[in-house]
Amino acid sequence: MEDFFGSLGPILASTVRNATPLVFAAMGGMFSERSGVVNIALEGLMLISAFAGVAGAFLSGSAWVGLGFAVAAGLLFALIHALMCVTFEADQIISGTAINLLALGGTGFLMVEVFGQGGTSPRVEQFGAVGIPLLSDIPIIGQAFFDQSILVYLMYLLIPVTFFVVFRTPFGLRLRATGEVPEAVDTAGVSVYRMRYYGVALSGMLAALGGAYLSMGLLSAFTENMTGGRGFIALAALIFGRWNPIGAAGAALLFGFAQAITFRAGGQEIIPIEFLQMLPYILTIVVLAGFGGRAIAPAAIGKPYRKE
Amino acid sequence: MSEGRTNGGAEETESGFRRFLTDSAGALLFPVIAIVIAFVIGAIIVLATGNNPLAAYVALLRGAVGSPSAIGRTLLNATPLIFTGLAVAVAFRAGLFNIGGEGQLYIGAITAAGLGVSLGFLGLFAIVPVLGACIVTGFLWGAIPGFLKARFGAHEVITTIMLNFIAINLATYLALNPLSGGGLVPGTATIEPASRIPVIGLGLGRVGYGLFIALAAAVVVYLLLWRTRLGFRIRAVGLSPGAANYAGMSIGANTILALAIGGSLAGLGGGVEVLGVYGKMSIPFVSNLGFNGIGVALLGRNHPAGVVLGALLFGGLASGAQEMQFATEVPLDLADVLLAVILLFVTATKLVELIVGKRARALASGTRLEKGLGA
Amino acid sequence: MSDNGSPNGSPASPVVLEMRGVTKTFGPVKANDGISIALRRGEILGLLGENGAGKSTLMKILYGLYRPDSGEILVDGEVAEIHDPKDAVRRGIGMVHQHFTLVPRLTVAENIVLGAEPRKGASLDLEGAARSTEELCDRYGLRVDPRARVSNLSVGEQQRVEILKTLYRDARILVLDEPTAVLTPQETEDLFEVLRELVADGLSIILITHKLGELLGVSDEITIIRDGKVVDTVDASNTDEGALARLMVGRDVLLRVEKKDTKMGEPRLVAEDLTVESNSGTVAVNGVSLTVRAGEILGVAGVDGNGQMELAEALAGTRPAKEGLVYLDGEDVTRLGSEARQGRGLAYVPEDRGNKGLVQDFTLAENNALKTYNEPPISKWGWIYPKVMRRRAAEALRAYDVRPADPDLRAGALSGGNQQKAVLARELSGDPGVIVAAQPTRGVDVGAIEFIHGQLLEQRAEGKAILLISLELEEVRSLADRIVVLYAGEIVGEVGPEATDEELGLLMAGRGAEKSA
Repeated sequence: MEDFFGSLGPILASTVRNATPLVFAAMGGMFSERSGVVNIALEGLMLISAFAGVAGAFLSGSAWVGLGFAVAAGLLFALIHALMCVTFEADQIISGTAINLLALGGTGFLMVEVFGQGGTSPRVEQFGAVGIPLLSDIPIIGQAFFDQSILVYLMYLLIPVTFFVVFRTPFGLRLRATGEVPEAVDTAGVSVYRMRYYGVALSGMLAALGGAYLSMGLLSAFTENMTGGRGFIALAALIFGRWNPIGAAGAALLFGFAQAITFRAGGQEIIPIEFLQMLPYILTIVVLAGFGGRAIAPAAIGKPYRKE
Repeated sequence: MSEGRTNGGAEETESGFRRFLTDSAGALLFPVIAIVIAFVIGAIIVLATGNNPLAAYVALLRGAVGSPSAIGRTLLNATPLIFTGLAVAVAFRAGLFNIGGEGQLYIGAITAAGLGVSLGFLGLFAIVPVLGACIVTGFLWGAIPGFLKARFGAHEVITTIMLNFIAINLATYLALNPLSGGGLVPGTATIEPASRIPVIGLGLGRVGYGLFIALAAAVVVYLLLWRTRLGFRIRAVGLSPGAANYAGMSIGANTILALAIGGSLAGLGGGVEVLGVYGKMSIPFVSNLGFNGIGVALLGRNHPAGVVLGALLFGGLASGAQEMQFATEVPLDLADVLLAVILLFVTATKLVELIVGKRARALASGTRLEKGLGA
Repeated sequence: MSDNGSPNGSPASPVVLEMRGVTKTFGPVKANDGISIALRRGEILGLLGENGAGKSTLMKILYGLYRPDSGEILVDGEVAEIHDPKDAVRRGIGMVHQHFTLVPRLTVAENIVLGAEPRKGASLDLEGAARSTEELCDRYGLRVDPRARVSNLSVGEQQRVEILKTLYRDARILVLDEPTAVLTPQETEDLFEVLRELVADGLSIILITHKLGELLGVSDEITIIRDGKVVDTVDASNTDEGALARLMVGRDVLLRVEKKDTKMGEPRLVAEDLTVESNSGTVAVNGVSLTVRAGEILGVAGVDGNGQMELAEALAGTRPAKEGLVYLDGEDVTRLGSEARQGRGLAYVPEDRGNKGLVQDFTLAENNALKTYNEPPISKWGWIYPKVMRRRAAEALRAYDVRPADPDLRAGALSGGNQQKAVLARELSGDPGVIVAAQPTRGVDVGAIEFIHGQLLEQRAEGKAILLISLELEEVRSLADRIVVLYAGEIVGEVGPEATDEELGLLMAGRGAEKSA
């Protein structure tokens, strides 16, 4: 028993750490997809921001400046996606794939240009763990949830804020309507294009926080392709959570837990690591196929809007 | 919407020859605009790094086609992209987006790696059954999203993305555990050189007869799509599900078949890579061949001939980039950036419309599926 | 509020909206040709015309969706520049389109306030939205639950939400485009009750429809539009359905078809108590029985959306019958699909050639083989022979006067008339015994109409059995040997081709049922 509780704390802490970038990116994906723009570019948005954060911190010596770089880079790449999908009516899937490849190639290119080397960047200042007084003293849970990076606390805040914005504000109402029936938004005198730009831009900035956490919270350096598919797991969390902030956050925690026990499993594996890593994807397919209640995407997602 | 007006008859006078010209121009318009934009952006990036874009591009060209060995590298890079590009193109003709080429290629690769070792005693005669098995496993893997779509309406874009990661993890598990070679480099055991696809020679380096398998696959896909009943059905379903249904064709069956055929092509591609180039499946295996196949297919407007050309362009960029890095110190990752930018712009209908006017919409028909992902 | 003594739009009420000399052309077609209309305060103005007469174009101009080539719009006597729907809303114009723009997953209140949301601090005041919705509901007797999800509402309720949307934005002029097309008779009655409430409160309404019967009961004045021009404006109390029908459809007779007498033979296509569901699961065809004999054209008349499409598809086998039986030359084919029925000699010209009849991006050769691509000589052993395909297509295209008769041309590049001829070429060249033709001349130029009519009569002379579904009374009357009228999915009467416009009009409005029963 003691052994169980002994390992529970670290597993929970690791779950939170693994879930954090997923939550950021999934919340970002929510804004984009709720506005009707598919965002399979989350992976690339995280990757470029993870790099930009480290580059900013490296050049300035400040993690906060790095964070600003990260958000700016995520925003920039998201705006490229929006420009292609919303303005130029490019295919959203193709544009997303292109952004992912662009981030991969772009970070490789910039690694050489900025740091003069491929592979791994030099170490930079990190958003290290900051214990919250009292709360972090709670046994087991305290260490796991309240002795984390400041970005993790930001993630806690983000979940209810996203819920509020999406479901309780005029902006959220318009955003949801834009992703369902853009014609209704248009006839109500609201610009569909503007709503979609907002949605995609927000997705870039939020995914950027996830990317920055990867390179400056979880680690303190950038390595090539360090997102390693996390953007797609975030996409899976978004779908598994049925495009709902609470559901997506729950899914992200579940997937983070799967990763945590993957790393824990190490020597004493019961299930092979690879099968644990498949879990998010399998679950997503299961809900897409309609088992346990169908996951229904926003109705207008993926379709470019064209005024009559 | 106008109320029941008739179309003008202006198109009726268009001659066959003019139509041929406009069709060809139309087919090239989107790719050419995308490529031009990519190279302009690339030049700006090179300038920003303090290098001479012209020198960089000359080096790039030299590295792609400047010598037999350069051509060899280009062909070597292009071979798997032909397969993954065809995998996207066949599905696209049925109105489906196959983002699953990456996973399908992994399934084919692990099949070849496993079977190639166990059938090694057959020598050269192992190639046919091994590649046949890759086609079968790729077909079955590709059929999964098809089935999920036909039976449950699960959108193929999301399911193929998810299946990519499932396939990669599955192949990784198999390569590191039951099929592990136990050597220093993680991965499967190595296939006997005698039962691998031989190289062509002619100073082309490592290019093997896999290239011809890829070209043959392109021809087969062409014949399938335009010379068989199945292809007729696939194209009818892709272009107009309403008319296909009216003509008594099954949308579901053709959906499954088109994705499964796509899977078999990517699977074959994975097999050819293992059997022709690497001789084993090491972990991590080559990545992004499947995703780049999407760009290849769209650049080639989902026509087998276009796919071959697109693959050669992508392959050439990749091999030229090495020479460029060597000669001008521009990082070879620039090639990936160029590819990404091409992909970014190759479906930008509205942009092309701004350049050539309303005709763009009709010309875009080979590059887009507008049905969206909603329920 | 209503300070004038006669609320129901008497000549004493001020004109709130005027459109003067509005002209709009699309390519060669004049959709609106100098149209002028006037709407008085507290009046319901009916805008009557056939499909394609130009009513919807006129209203889209009013709502800022189209720009007129010439003409002007006056609101309250002032010239109003209306560039987009926002301008229209600002001028107090509200429009309920035929196709609703509601978000099914949002609630009624959310749909209504979308774009003009009440706020409470940073958040959306959902309670306030629901309250204002309830107030509007109470005021005009529009019963709908503001907290219900739109996806759970009936079509009639959804329409009420659309009306509420305009009222929430303070519309004083309300335009309803074919509002009854989707409603049941009871819902229609409820709607009219609401409209009367609205005009009693000082609103003014334009009601667009091609159902003349119901217009008489609700409107004050009726403006009739034909071929883009105003034919007449009449006082609803001084006219009757017969007169309206004549004004609406009574165009110069373009085509007089020579119809030879033929010998009628055996029944070839028979439907017994056929019941068919629409895509949304409602009953679209309700217990229809009909018989088409060899050498006969049976015309099916009726207003669009009364089950014609579902009937045609159920007969052709592309839509399952819920109940009832279909016989082809005496054989029960109810359980057979479209391919099998086609093999037994049934040809089907679908009403939607753009999405069903043709694959727009296929060549004419491929389209011509859409149903024979898997048969010899075009195909053997799974293999297709494009040369044979092209040769056969070339013959068929020439025989049916498709211009240009180029088998390598994309179908989408042809004019509407030639596309339809290409469909006929495919369907008729196989020498079918039974032909189901759904609106074969819709959106087709005069020359093609003549050709298509000639082809149908030729087939009739050859002893084929033809079911002709058409919205054009003139067409049905000049071609058919007998005419049945479809209303709300049921056959409400059968008449001969000599029936008058009035008789047919009454049946089409569902008024003849008691007489013929």
